[in-house]
Formats: sequence, C-alpha cells, structure tokens
Amino acid sequence: MSTLVEPVIRTVKLCKTYRSGFRMKRVQALSDLELDVGKGETFGFVGPNGAGKTTFIKILIGLTSPTSGEVRVLGKSPRDAQVKTKIGFLPESPYFYEYLTPSEFLHLSARLSGIPGQDVEVRVRYLLKLVRMEDAAHAQMRGFSRGMLQRIGIAQALVNDPELVILDEPMGGLDPVGRKELRDIIIGLRERGKTVFFSTHILSDVEMICDRVGIVIRGRLVNTGRLSEILTEEVESVEITVKGLTGKFRKVLEKVTQQSIRSGDSLFLTVRNEEEVERVMAIVREARAKISALVPRRKTLEDYFMARIREAERK
Amino acid sequence: MFGRISGIARNTFREAIRDKVLLILLVFAIVVMGSAKVIQPLALGEESKVIKDLGLGAITFFCVLIAVLVGGRLVYKEMEKRTIYIMLAKPVRRWEFILGKYLGLMAVLFVSMLIMTAGFYIILLVSGIPASAYLLWSLLMTAFELAILTAVAILFSSFVPPIASAVFTFAVYFIGHLTRDLRLLAAMSPSAVVKGISEFLYYVLPNLSNFNIKGEVVHDVLLNPQALALSALYALVYTATLLLISVAIFRRKDF
Ligand SMILES: Nc1ncnc2c1ncn2[C@@H]1O[C@H](COP(=O)(O)OP(=O)(O)O)[C@@H](O)[C@H]1O
Ligand SMILES: [Mg+2]
Repeated sequence: MSTLVEPVIRTVKLCKTYRSGFRMKRVQALSDLELDVGKGETFGFVGPNGAGKTTFIKILIGLTSPTSGEVRVLGKSPRDAQVKTKIGFLPESPYFYEYLTPSEFLHLSARLSGIPGQDVEVRVRYLLKLVRMEDAAHAQMRGFSRGMLQRIGIAQALVNDPELVILDEPMGGLDPVGRKELRDIIIGLRERGKTVFFSTHILSDVEMICDRVGIVIRGRLVNTGRLSEILTEEVESVEITVKGLTGKFRKVLEKVTQQSIRSGDSLFLTVRNEEEVERVMAIVREARAKISALVPRRKTLEDYFMARIREAERK
Repeated sequence: MFGRISGIARNTFREAIRDKVLLILLVFAIVVMGSAKVIQPLALGEESKVIKDLGLGAITFFCVLIAVLVGGRLVYKEMEKRTIYIMLAKPVRRWEFILGKYLGLMAVLFVSMLIMTAGFYIILLVSGIPASAYLLWSLLMTAFELAILTAVAILFSSFVPPIASAVFTFAVYFIGHLTRDLRLLAAMSPSAVVKGISEFLYYVLPNLSNFNIKGEVVHDVLLNPQALALSALYALVYTATLLLISVAIFRRKDF
C-alpha cells in the first residue's frame, strides 16, 4: 500500500565517490543528490558528459552502491531482487552476447524475468515487432550496428512490462527515425501509467516528451521541475529590428539596450523585459524610424542549461 | 530460482559451444589420443597400456585446458563487455548468477568429456584393445577434480583479467598435484619462511593428486572405494567453499 503514496524513485543525500587509478584518486561523482520521481511521471535526467547520470542510474539498479545517502526504488532497496521484477533497464551503449540472436536473447531475458513459459514466445514476437527488429531476429548479434543493439536493448528493457523503465541515454546510436519511434514508445508507456526515467545530454529529447526534468551538473542536481516552470523562471528576451535610424538616435539606442548589432541601415537589438521594449519603442517613435521586426524570444532549455554550466564552472 | 539458474547455465553452455576454441580443443584431443597408435615399436601388451594411459591423460589435460581457458574469462568477460548490467538488472540474484555460470561450465566439461571418451573408446576398439569400463573410474575422479578447478577458475575470473586468471588457475592445478611434496618441503626446510609458505599452500590449495588414479586403472590395480568416496566428498566440500567465497566477493562488487 505504501508504494501508492511513496514516490517510485526516492534518493536522499545520495553521494558517490569513486577511487580510481594507481593513486586511488577520488572522484566525487554524486553530491547530496535528492530526487523524487512520482508514479506515472516521465522524467528527463539531463546533464553534460561526466555529470554523474550513469552513476546515478547504476545506483538505482543496484549495480553500484552509494558511498552515503539513501536510495529507494518502488519503496525498496535497489538490491532487492523482488523490485527488479517491476523494473526495466537499458544501459548506456548496451552490449549483448554476440553469439546469440535477438530472439534467443529476448527468450533468455524473458526467462530470467520470470515470465511464464507459455507467454514467452508471444512476448518476444511482440517486442521484436515493437522495435522493428523482426528481420534480424535470427541473425547472431555479432556485428550489429549501435542502433540495432540499442533497439534490442529497448526490447529487453520492456520484456517484463515494467512499472518503472530506466533508460540511460536511450537515443544514443539511433537515427532520426529510430528516435521518433522511441519517443512514441515512451509516450505509449506514459499513457499506460508507467514511470519512465531517462538520462540524456540531448536537450531536444527532453523538451518533447518529459513531464519533468532534473538538471545535473558535476554530480549536483541544480534544478528540477516542469519544463514550463524552469524556463519561465528566467527572464525572456525580445529581439527588435529597427530600420531607418539616424546616427544620433542610434547611439541613444545602443546605450539603453543590452546588446546591439548594426547591419546596413538596420539595427538588431536585444532587450530583457517589457519596460526596455517600451523605452526602445518610444525612442524609435521619436526618431521617426521603423520597427521591422519584434520577436519575443523564450528562454530555451539550452540557454538555461548553458547558463547553469557556466555558473558551475565559475564556482 | 531454478529457472533463472538454469537459464544462465544454458546461456553459458551455448556461449561455449558456439565458440571455436572448444571445437579446436576437442579435435586436438582426439588427434593426440589417436597419435598413440602411430607410435608402433612397442610390444603388444605395452602398446595397449600406452594408448590407455595417453588417452586418459589427454582427456584430463584437455578438460583442464577447457576449464582454465573458458572458465578464466567466464565472469570477467561479462563485466568487461557490461552484459552483466543487463543480467543483474533482471530479478537475478548475484549468487544465482555465479552458480548458473559454474553449472554451465560444468555442463560444457561434461559434454566435452563425453565426446572425448567416446573418441577414446573408438580408438581402443579400432586398435583391438579390450575396452574395459574399469577405465571410467579414472574419468569419474577427473570429473571431481574438474569441479574443483572450475570453481577456482570462477573465483579468479570474478576479479582478475582472463590471462591472469588462466595462469593462476593453472598454477593452482600444478601445485595442487604437488601437495605431498609441499608437505615434505615444509618438514625438511631449515628456513622458517619457506616452511611457513609451503605449509600455508599445503592447507589452502586443493590436494589434487588423490584424483589421479590413471596408473591404477590402466594396470588393473584394485581400487579402494572408501578412498574414492572420500576424495569425492572432499571435492564437493572444497568446491562449495570456493563458490561461497566467489559469491561473497561478487556481492560486494561495484560495477
Ligand atoms: N567506475 C568508475 N571509476 C572511477 N570514476 C568513475 C567511474 N565511473 C564514472 N566515473 C567518473 O564519475 C563521473 C561521472 O561519470 P558518469 O556517471 O559516467 O557521467 P555521465 O553518465 O553523466 O556522463 C565522471 O567524472 C567519471 O569519470
Ligand atoms: Mg553516462
């Protein structure tokens, strides 16, 4: 019963320090990471390479133990085998037994997931169809392309019809068609009330399908929230193009605005808020010049992301 | 639980039989056994003993080679290729994984031994040597020895790369056949360090020479059933202990 109220994923003050190399150099991969993901959410875990996404996911799967802190998945420890019956996992750049065919591998996966014998065949067929690997179903996976392996990886992650699907860089290696198909699969999972947690460093993946995102930089979760919340926190900017200005007014405008670029008799201005827009309009009117374009520019996730990274680097 | 263990065991078996290494070793073993026939200038009675001795020796040797070469990369390869991420993300407990791998390799060894033994008996028949079933006792003891050796290979394979693992496992096999000498060394050496080390090795390493009864079966010497039963029991206990240690290491592992 408690799983109904408890989040599907919960971490409290999660830290992970690796010691590696000859001198056991310490690498702090995760620092006090606190995150709750609720049932039915599609959550995007976004961060640059080396931010700690894979480390976090490995802890969720129980492949790695945290150095300190707490982690609960579906209300239990990730090392609990019972929990795994309800989880599907796609590792980053997956690799499978190359001497097996996709069909054999999915049979093995189904068997290990405890799917009753009589249902296995149907399930495997369904999955091969879902990821469009029917044609290669009986060829050994030796020499499969990255995209093909990725598809098999997605199929095996869904073999047990999991409540929670955890995908590490699921778009990796997929062509645009494959990415679209995967987005559809994820949306399909969401419609069926499944929780999807995936990591990515490609922002457009997130903007299209996530309910909520978490941004992780250098092992720290710098923000979580709905995309609309994260993005409107930031002030929007407006790009104004002015034509037919005389020198005097141009100098005035250049002084009042944030950024200005001259090109022929046009002047491109970037201002930060409505007040500034008003001021520019007043000056333009006075100068009897013309505004040829006025484009409000919403902050994109990328802008936000870049700003956070710059902030982190300054620290 | 049994479904998962047998699933992993079957997969391990499938991996091995689709690997060329196994096929090459099997062909080679049969060729070696047959080659005894070519060594002609021996008296008739001698010849039969040489062929039997060589045949049993070849079966043991090649089974050991399979255990060491295939076993040595069994677990490590899964970590290196990261297939283990997928396995452990399924409801597979870590001990089930190790046990499945172990049983899979034992199945490979069993089938290999069966094939080599069939080849051996065919060679005996072709050579007109009476093929007594008495020889099988020696192979049974080899099977127990392989049970230990495979567990050694798995233990090493769960934390060192394949080549190192193969070398270590071979070393255990080699020294395991010299344990009596180790004890002798411990008794006779004046140096306390040498004494200590050889005594330590004597107690820690498996005593494998008890499993070698080739001389007895080839020369039709009567076997001591109690001694054989004791060796078998020893093999089971030793193997179980090694597997428990492997599991303990494996459970603490971060991937
Ligand atoms: N097994 C490991 N041993 C030592 N350092 C590691 C290990 N795995 C990851 N790291 C380090 O931890 C940091 C986070 O890595 P990772 O979780 O793979 O990031 P991401 O998936 O976001 O690219 C990196 O600095 C990486 O070098
Ligand atoms: Mg990663």
